[in-house]
Amino acid sequence: MAAECGLKRLMMKFGMMVSPEGTPKERYDREHVDKIWARFESYRSGSVEGRDYGLPTPNPFDKWHASDRYAHQSNFDQTGVQLHQAGAAVIVELIKKAQREGLLV
Amino acid sequence: MRKKLFELYPEPIPTFDLILPAVRDWLDAYRGSLNDFLSNEDDWLLVNRDLNGRARLILPERIKESEQRKLWDSLASNLMQRLGKHAYPQNDEILFETNREQALQGATSYLVDGFTNVWIVDRLATEANWARIAPETESVPRIVFFSIKGGVGRSTALAATAWSLAQEGKRVLVLDLDLESPGLSSALLPPERQPMYGITDWLVEDLVDNGDVVFESMVATSNLSHDGEIHVVPAHGADHGEYIAKLGRVWMPKLRADGTREAWSSRLHRLLRHLEDRIQPDVVLIDSRSGIDEIASACITELGAKLILLFSLEGEQTWNGYRMLFEQWQSAGVAQQIRERLQVVGAIVPELDRVGYLAGLREHSYEIFVDTLYDEIAPIKKGEVGPGPDGAWQVGDLSEGWSFDEADDTAPHHPWGVNWHRSFAGLRSLRGRLAAIDAQEVDSVFGALIQGVSNAVDWRETS
Repeated sequence: MAAECGLKRLMMKFGMMVSPEGTPKERYDREHVDKIWARFESYRSGSVEGRDYGLPTPNPFDKWHASDRYAHQSNFDQTGVQLHQAGAAVIVELIKKAQREGLLV
Repeated sequence: MRKKLFELYPEPIPTFDLILPAVRDWLDAYRGSLNDFLSNEDDWLLVNRDLNGRARLILPERIKESEQRKLWDSLASNLMQRLGKHAYPQNDEILFETNREQALQGATSYLVDGFTNVWIVDRLATEANWARIAPETESVPRIVFFSIKGGVGRSTALAATAWSLAQEGKRVLVLDLDLESPGLSSALLPPERQPMYGITDWLVEDLVDNGDVVFESMVATSNLSHDGEIHVVPAHGADHGEYIAKLGRVWMPKLRADGTREAWSSRLHRLLRHLEDRIQPDVVLIDSRSGIDEIASACITELGAKLILLFSLEGEQTWNGYRMLFEQWQSAGVAQQIRERLQVVGAIVPELDRVGYLAGLREHSYEIFVDTLYDEIAPIKKGEVGPGPDGAWQVGDLSEGWSFDEADDTAPHHPWGVNWHRSFAGLRSLRGRLAAIDAQEVDSVFGALIQGVSNAVDWRETS
């Protein structure tokens, strides 16, 4: 969830249109992190400001679904969790970089 | 050092140029407290100037919840009051980071004089910061031809130097990196010899891992020299194609699958290494873009040049431009890494009163070298040189430094003159001229430059 918010904050900087309440105008941008990872790249690659904010491929959240938030712990597997943690860490670093550069306050 | 204009006003409204003086005043005012707070080896403080020119502090994460936090908030707030619109708002004055190296990534930084763990960090929207100086490459000598202003005969001089070195039997590799105003290759290659691709094509194809497709068809051999070889890599191919669309992409960093990046200048350096491996030249001559420009920065600071030729016309515009560059190197603390590789070239020295013109050029050149790049050498103290107690002549601890007399003709400020000559005015006609003229004629115009470059190349070979 936090990863998703982080990406959306940056997408706004790279040109994503939002309503006055802050909701993305495009339906495709109102998705969860599994889909947003690819949408982020669309905005980033089209923006001069985004040229240094690339995400690694493949998408570490590729096999994740929003319904997994409610899955029983016994259904978690360690490799998957580590992959998601690494993905979230990449986004945290991008946010920090954006703060250092003054793109985000 | 000349006084800055804003220093003449008692309380100016802070603008960009006042950020660093304000930071220095703040550091001086709180030196004692700052040194107390930063007394551990793993403490550090970064004063970070962001892309918009706003400054704030970056501190280690552990301070965020520590007892020191309040004191740091108050210090930061005091700094912000000095910065006007260049300050961050309250509560955003400090960023916290777990790791200093991570926080410095992608930025220019330098340690503040008088502190062991306080850095100024600067972030630019362009890759070029002029302050990261690559060491001289140990393989082939690379010679960069640069001018602060265009239209000074730089490319013509490069073509003549390439011709002359090839006549000496050398294998010369020439790169036209004046991508925004290309033309050198047409001076060295007839239209039918122009290769299919150029540097711009490779830089664009490399972004999608397709560089190999153009690599073998981006070099052509000039037919001007009969004893050596001139291999020319043009800015674009025989058919320039969608040049503007390609040029707008050459600056792109290459993003690898793991998210790491390779700056465009590093990609250019990689291309240069491939070309050197393929052609095995004795010397590489690089025609740089003029002015304080992205390509010029890469050519001068990042390609590990052995010699950087600074083409100069006598006049305020020239010296103001070079002063800006030299001051940047001085303030970033990198002057020592680059100054020994610089050489002023007097461009298109007029026919009338050549000696007087060169003397004026030398005087102004000397002035900025003394102000920015040469070391100040203290006068000899009484008793340091002279007869000792036993009557024998002795020399004590003299102050040493890197500096030259104004008249020293081996000094980098002492211009190598390139004379104006009507037959070499204009690059386009050069191919015809070089094919028909003799070495003596070239020597009379470009002699000092060619001799200087030749010495630099030969020095590398013999050492």
